[in-house]
Amino acid sequence: MSVFSKTDRDGFTGGKKYVLDDELARVVNISMSLEMPLLLKGEPGTGKTMLAHAVAENLDMPLIVLNVKSSMKLVEALYQYDTLTRLNDSRFGDSARDVANIEDYIKMGKIGQAFTADRRTVLLIDEIDKADTDFQDDMLDVLDQMEFDIIEIDKTLRAKHRPVIVITSNAKKDLSDPFLGRCNFHHIAFPDPKMMRKIIRVHFPEIDSNIMEAAIDTFYRLREIDVVEKKPATRELINWIRALSADPDFRPKQLAKGEVPYLGVLFKKSQDYMAAADAGSPQRKRLF
Amino acid sequence: MFIDFFYKLKDAGIPVTPTSFLLLQRALENRLIMNLSDFYTASRAILVKSERHFDLFDQIFAHFFEGAELPDEQGFEIDEMARALLDQWLTDPKSVADALGVDESELSKLSPDELIEYFKKRLEEQTERHDGGSKWIGTGGTSPVGHSGTHPGGMRVGGASRNQSAVKVANERRYKDYSRSGPLTPSSMTEALKRLRNLVPAGPKDNLNVEETIYQTMKNAGEIEIVFDRSLKDRLKVILLIDNGGYSMDPHIPVVQTLFNYARSQFKDLKTYFFHNTVYDTVWEDPSRYKKPRPVIEFSRMDPETRLVFVGDASMAPYELMARDGSIYISERSGNASIEQLRFLADTFPHNVWLNPLPARMWPYTRTIGMISQIFPMYELSVDGLESAVTRLMAA
Repeated sequence: MSVFSKTDRDGFTGGKKYVLDDELARVVNISMSLEMPLLLKGEPGTGKTMLAHAVAENLDMPLIVLNVKSSMKLVEALYQYDTLTRLNDSRFGDSARDVANIEDYIKMGKIGQAFTADRRTVLLIDEIDKADTDFQDDMLDVLDQMEFDIIEIDKTLRAKHRPVIVITSNAKKDLSDPFLGRCNFHHIAFPDPKMMRKIIRVHFPEIDSNIMEAAIDTFYRLREIDVVEKKPATRELINWIRALSADPDFRPKQLAKGEVPYLGVLFKKSQDYMAAADAGSPQRKRLF
Repeated sequence: MFIDFFYKLKDAGIPVTPTSFLLLQRALENRLIMNLSDFYTASRAILVKSERHFDLFDQIFAHFFEGAELPDEQGFEIDEMARALLDQWLTDPKSVADALGVDESELSKLSPDELIEYFKKRLEEQTERHDGGSKWIGTGGTSPVGHSGTHPGGMRVGGASRNQSAVKVANERRYKDYSRSGPLTPSSMTEALKRLRNLVPAGPKDNLNVEETIYQTMKNAGEIEIVFDRSLKDRLKVILLIDNGGYSMDPHIPVVQTLFNYARSQFKDLKTYFFHNTVYDTVWEDPSRYKKPRPVIEFSRMDPETRLVFVGDASMAPYELMARDGSIYISERSGNASIEQLRFLADTFPHNVWLNPLPARMWPYTRTIGMISQIFPMYELSVDGLESAVTRLMAA
């Protein structure tokens, strides 16, 4: 099954706010047909999470998102045994559940939901790098076998349909080798200006091209500043352009002159802000 | 199929596994790979698991498949030449301008694409004179692929482009910046900073987590199960000792200082001192090593939990390190050999590292590096080295 045939993609880049490059489309298709999880890395704001949404939308499959947290245990992602409700039921006994039947108190976690769903789903495991290595390895075991045991009722749950798995990582930590061995890997590079223009067009179909060109130029110039710790990403650019277009007093000429209004939309750290403010104005003129 | 390619990757140091290679075979068998571009994407996604190795992969791919399956070989050759031209143009715009017979300032207005177009046109026009070879075509093949210079018009060369053959894409070496070896530069700052962020303390597990305890107790059918969390510990103190004498160190000092200054907020205290070549009785708070001396002996009063980070090339004449009057400054000759002072510092602060901007393969050639690395664990001043150094500093 191929996700992104040519015609699909054309319709898809148009309205749905996700611009996909060929290389990535190929990687997605290959991972799907090999039934391997796809691990996506890349700078924040390059659209890693958005990809899973786009795949789900395009294949018309339900999307299940597992947001990984640092304290997360694997079993939470699989299922939960709701002991408190059972205790409550056993004392007051006013529910339809059968207290003697533990299975009534097993709630599926996100991975469990993807396994028990009646149709094929897209399972997005977001920011896997936040969790510890054990979590990652154990999870890959489950995803490899497509089954897990529910210890409380001594039952093995097998996936009805193998979900399409997309995993994202922000590369804060390196993932372990066995983990990497079981995934396909793709690194989403930061979009080049040409790609960025397409992305902006998709988000702002009505935008004046002068504003867009000036904004993109300035944006890439500001990204070149070396000392900046958190470089502005696509998300910031989109918000910034939104801010610029909302301002009736804004003229694209200002950017060419080196004035950068709403710098705070692009730079969120005070050191970065100062550095950008200094570099943004060649005359070292204060902006505020 | 492609076993040679697999081993080439392996020999180059990319951690490829047989399992992934078999998977690639499966992809080939399933007819998922129809052309070289598909093969490029697929083999990279399946075999290579980190963007650090993408650059290496690109190089090997280009090397392995160059000319192997290229219908437009002619076009490719021209491209190679154009690239060579481009490279030369980056380093020496004037000679290229002369060779093309145009004004340098005019040339600098062209974008790289325009330049190549212009160049190709010129080349087609003068096929018959091609063999004679003007100067810049002659040097063509020898020029390595790479874009380190800045182009006179102020644009960067390279970057992704669409609809190219895989070899050409590979030849672009788009992932050069993700390579993690090599000295720390301002552009690898963000990555380096992420490594430094791990320099945070972890306290003992002695905080009672009430909620988790209740949950686990319930789960355990009422049998009490107590859960502890790590308590937060006070932030770290860091002493940064920088060798700022000698030109070899100059390019690295601002990078290191900026790096640690950015991370300053996560430390309780960050002190920077300077020395020349090695430490004698004093280090200085001012980079000119003149105004604010600080006797090394005073360091013994500081918190021994402080993390000590040396940055220096550790290269000097052996007597500077070993002799009791080794200092090249007459006023510093107090009778303690520098190596004793270094041992004293290493004893005072058990958590210590030495970051060396020289590449590790050069270390065996300098005697003093060997001697100092016996006292301080030494790491390369690169992103990878910094990562190991931080791990070492955090080890109990």
